[in-house]
Amino acid sequence: MKELEKTKRISIASTLFILAVLIGLFTYKRPKNTYSHDTKNTLEKVSNYNYFINLNDINNQDYALVDIRSAFDFEKGHLKDAINIHTPDFLNEDNLTIFKELKNTNKTIVLCGNNPQETNLPFLLLYQLGYDNIKLLTVDIDYNQNRLIAKNSEIETSKADVTAFIQESVKKQAEAMKKAKVVVKPKPKAVTAPKKIIPLKKKKKMPVEGGC
Amino acid sequence: MVKKRIAKILSFRYTMMAAILILLAGGLVLLPKYQESEGIPAEQLLSNIISLERYVSTDQISDKLISQDPSFILIDVRSEERYNSYTLPNAINIPLKKLLDKEFESYLNQDQYDVVFFSDDNFYADQAWAICNRLEYKNLHVLKGGINKWFTTIINPKKPNENMSSKAFELYTTRKAASLFYGVVYPDQTKTKSVIKKAPRKIITVKKKKKMPVEGGC
Repeated sequence: MKELEKTKRISIASTLFILAVLIGLFTYKRPKNTYSHDTKNTLEKVSNYNYFINLNDINNQDYALVDIRSAFDFEKGHLKDAINIHTPDFLNEDNLTIFKELKNTNKTIVLCGNNPQETNLPFLLLYQLGYDNIKLLTVDIDYNQNRLIAKNSEIETSKADVTAFIQESVKKQAEAMKKAKVVVKPKPKAVTAPKKIIPLKKKKKMPVEGGC
Repeated sequence: MVKKRIAKILSFRYTMMAAILILLAGGLVLLPKYQESEGIPAEQLLSNIISLERYVSTDQISDKLISQDPSFILIDVRSEERYNSYTLPNAINIPLKKLLDKEFESYLNQDQYDVVFFSDDNFYADQAWAICNRLEYKNLHVLKGGINKWFTTIINPKKPNENMSSKAFELYTTRKAASLFYGVVYPDQTKTKSVIKKAPRKIITVKKKKKMPVEGGC
């Protein structure tokens, strides 16, 4: 009798335990997209600069061009052999399978958009998600009379030397000042004018006091 | 003989059962490693990337600098060399490579100030933004167009054509006035100055002489 009660208690405890474990298992949600590169790793990749590619090099069998612009822009005109995956749709399952397939077949994904700045962050996102077979096409896409024009573009080039410009303007001003001085030399003499004002003020006070 | 052996095994039955249950529970501990994945979920990052809220214009920054708004810090993500050649007033240099260094974390990971990244273009600044955004740092912004845009809009604004709207002219004059604040000097500035100097001299002397006799009459 005592033995029976003991087993009863144990079986109840064990079923409860197993139930808890099962609930834990089923309610656990695996995040759909997980990063495979942490931020440090990404930063390293970013500062190594080897992910740019320009128009001259894209004629390669191993490259798969992916156009990240909207479907509307894509219809208007796109680069040869490009497929269209708009940025907001990157994480759709269909598109993810496309990316996975490209990765499995050892192809390099080449992202292109209206300009490199636009392509930049989608590129970074895909890289962090583990699609590290990826490159960024440095190209500016423009339309002229409905014809697509693609030009190589340069990234992060300083277009103007600001310090030099400011110094130049200061120099110019100094020169202008010189010129101005040559023409209007009597100016310094006129500066003595404030002296005249002072005696005038004194005169003012005097008569007022007398009036009182 | 057989009965004896069974009895021996049965005497361990509770410990065995407990061992199995503990093993099962141990399996749960191994599962959640996915959640340790650093930073905000990818979906969230994507929607942040698409939204263009992060951009601030050069005019806005210029306004803030002139009014000496203390609520933001400028961060130059270019190399040290470029930083030394020219940078915005009061900017802090954090080269992109060193972005995640410990010494700079206090600048980025705080919620008191607005952080504005800039570089020559907005390419590297965007990258810095994306990495910090994934780490859930707050109040991050990017200067749209970077130093290049800064130069063409604030430092050296383009004079509008005569057939452009009056707003374009207004914008041009504010930008030109702003550029004076950043050290640019215009040649026509000197002319205006000399004119101003001349004018008050005449006025003062003439007026005071006129007043004199009136006071005396009283």
